Amino acid sequence: MKKWTGWILGGLLALGMSACSGGGDPFASEKNSTEGYPEKPVTIVAPSGAGGGWDLTARAMAKALTEEKLIKQSLTVENKPGGGGVVFMAEYATQDKANPYKLFVNSPPLLINHLKKEGNSPYGYKDTTPLAQLTRDYGAFVVKKDSKYKKLSDLLADLKANPRQVRIAGGSAPGSMDHVMAVLPAYKLGVDPKKLKYIPYDGGGEAIAALLGGNADVIATDASAVSEYVKAGKVRVLAVTSPKRLDGELKAVPTLKESGVDTEFIIWRGVFGPKEMSAEAKAYWENTLKSLSKSGAWEEELKANRWEGDYKNSADFQRFLTGQEKQLRDILTEMGMAK
Amino acid sequence: MESLEYLMKGFLVAFQWHNLLFAFVGVLIGTAVGVLPGIGPMSGVALLIPVSASLTAGMGPEEAAASSIILLAGIYYGAMYGGSTTSILLNTPGESSSVVTALDGYQMARQGRAGNALAIAAIGSFVAGVVSLIGLVLLAQPLSEMALMFGPAEYFSLMVLGLCAVSGLAGRSMTKALIMTVFGLLLGTIGVDNVSGVARFTFDQPVLYQGLEFLTVAVGLFALGEVFNTVLEGGGENEKAGKVGKVTLSRQDLKQSAAPIARGSLLGFFIGTLPGAGATMASFFSYITEKKWSKQPERFGKGAIEGVAGPESANNAASGGAMIPLLTLGIPGSGTTAILMGALIMYNVQPGPLLFEEHPYVAWGLIASMFIGNVMLLVLNYPLVKVFARIIDTPPKYLIPLIIAISIFGVYAVQVNLFDLIVLVVCGLLGYILARHDYPLAPVVLGLVLGPMIEYNMRRALTASDGDFSIFVEKPISLFFLLAALLWLTVPWLMKARGKRVVINEEA
Repeated sequence: MKKWTGWILGGLLALGMSACSGGGDPFASEKNSTEGYPEKPVTIVAPSGAGGGWDLTARAMAKALTEEKLIKQSLTVENKPGGGGVVFMAEYATQDKANPYKLFVNSPPLLINHLKKEGNSPYGYKDTTPLAQLTRDYGAFVVKKDSKYKKLSDLLADLKANPRQVRIAGGSAPGSMDHVMAVLPAYKLGVDPKKLKYIPYDGGGEAIAALLGGNADVIATDASAVSEYVKAGKVRVLAVTSPKRLDGELKAVPTLKESGVDTEFIIWRGVFGPKEMSAEAKAYWENTLKSLSKSGAWEEELKANRWEGDYKNSADFQRFLTGQEKQLRDILTEMGMAK
Repeated sequence: MESLEYLMKGFLVAFQWHNLLFAFVGVLIGTAVGVLPGIGPMSGVALLIPVSASLTAGMGPEEAAASSIILLAGIYYGAMYGGSTTSILLNTPGESSSVVTALDGYQMARQGRAGNALAIAAIGSFVAGVVSLIGLVLLAQPLSEMALMFGPAEYFSLMVLGLCAVSGLAGRSMTKALIMTVFGLLLGTIGVDNVSGVARFTFDQPVLYQGLEFLTVAVGLFALGEVFNTVLEGGGENEKAGKVGKVTLSRQDLKQSAAPIARGSLLGFFIGTLPGAGATMASFFSYITEKKWSKQPERFGKGAIEGVAGPESANNAASGGAMIPLLTLGIPGSGTTAILMGALIMYNVQPGPLLFEEHPYVAWGLIASMFIGNVMLLVLNYPLVKVFARIIDTPPKYLIPLIIAISIFGVYAVQVNLFDLIVLVVCGLLGYILARHDYPLAPVVLGLVLGPMIEYNMRRALTASDGDFSIFVEKPISLFFLLAALLWLTVPWLMKARGKRVVINEEA
């Protein structure tokens, strides 16, 4: 009985504390200067179905912010799937361009969608306010455990001989990030990317299902998403797109460079606000996200999801994006997929 | 049986008093979420994640994960119980998986058998829930492997078989049913194409990028169509809805429902295990199977209890089946299971091939709690049937505004978009006009659901085979579905040609 009342009280207490917000908040003084801005609940949009990288980032972020009481308003995560994020951007850049209560999470597709020819998004990162980069992930080339490919070079040799004999799957449409990532090594070795057989699925989960079920020979997906399958002995990772070897489950996996392909691919994830954002709201989120990146709760989220934290503030992030956009434009142009 | 031993240990977890409480709160909220249109199981679960997190804050990591997921899963399958209520009483489906229930459920309500319909829905859901849990315990491993064998070709052929279902949804005229199916398929092509990323029929309007929302169209066609009919034809006055009717089911009702419930449970369970197919497909398949199987198919659409019992069992069983790819592969088959997966990951419990080895406490605790939760749902829902069924006694002048309000609220709560309200009203008018001229509405909805799935999977399969169509007959499972579809279409014609009485409704 005592335990029971304990639970109820605990619950009420937790609710109460989040309601009257940040009593013992160490960043209270920083917040005072921007008192006012979040007057309503804030929505963080993951422009994809639930369960993918954007979704997990948005949820982890919302959870850590709430747990650390870094925000006095409640946070909700909304999924807005469709067209690899294009659907959401079209709506956001037009209908929400001055709505500081809606932020979103994105990654390289934000740039790619704006650059590519087919399924082009008329809006890019310049139609947003980049607030912060939070994490970094890398691509992984994954085959089933019983695949004949033991090394990336075996796969690339086959692709060179006949580009159409390998079924490559990814979690998004042609011309999108998974596709760029999937064809990158073969393209670097001089294979015409248009000849490769790329099969798009709805999200990384379906792509892994296709691999495990023998409906794809190799998939390109986020490195963080495959550890569990490696541990279970279901798949083999041929290479990762990081500059150095990764830690943990994928320690033994060579990088692209080690496999003889001189390139790398970073999957950054960051938070963006609307283009027309008041200085007050922008400053609020810069502070809040910086505090988030240093908080214990965020540290735990990173560990739980096997992400690498990589914080960049708004100005650095913007510079980084400018560089990334140029690099991606070059790749897509050479692949004949640029707008 | 190793599984049974683990299950017993799982019951020890689930019977801890606080976990019983969590399960009860979960199914209670789930029922409410299911009854109220607008708040679907997906948003219900998502909203409760932070609450469950703070409730379990003081517990050890494994216990906290188990208790939370027990509560959240309770909402998920609880919503499947509640979903049928508005379908039956108001012709307003609250979730997409309850659309089919409206076909016969609403007719039963109009005949004063609302109580019976609600009662059989509750019983069917309970049986299906238990059947799918037994399946989950005994068959999780082999079934997850079978689900993986479903590649694009297999999905395509399964969906083709699903399209043949249209013959089961036709009213008097097959031609009209086919027109409506094609109309539904055409509506399904609107939006940004997920395979190529190209925008189709969007006229550069961002609101159309995502295509037409299935639930908006269904609620418009069915609920608002009925409203327009009542208002314009004055239909509400002369036909008195009659009494609530007995809630206790007659021996005849139970006899008629037993087989549909059994078939619906099995069908729903297997379809549920396929990622992406889901509860909506399961309920459609169940309905047409029942109609096909029935000795008096002409009763369907006019208040046949089998038409409620089968689909309601199927959509509940599908939610149990959907736990298989989620727990054993870490692959969520639907939006709601994806959110459940996110909740598990939050507790550092990674669903996937190692879940049962690494976190038996959470996995088996959850499965055991679902048995208990299903019993709670039956106990909770059965007495409520009488209360809910009273709604039907409301005079039309109050009921009509209520339906309009619920429809608009429900659609807006999901889409938060004025455009969808316009689509809703247009579909309502369309529903009225079409129904007046004897065009069946269910095939539109079927086409809209199946169209994109058929198309994407066909193109994926053809990309893999370099455009060679033989991939669809080379794969045995795919071939099986195609043959079944062929037989489905030809057998009635052959029988007709041989002068036999045809069981299926053809041209009148």
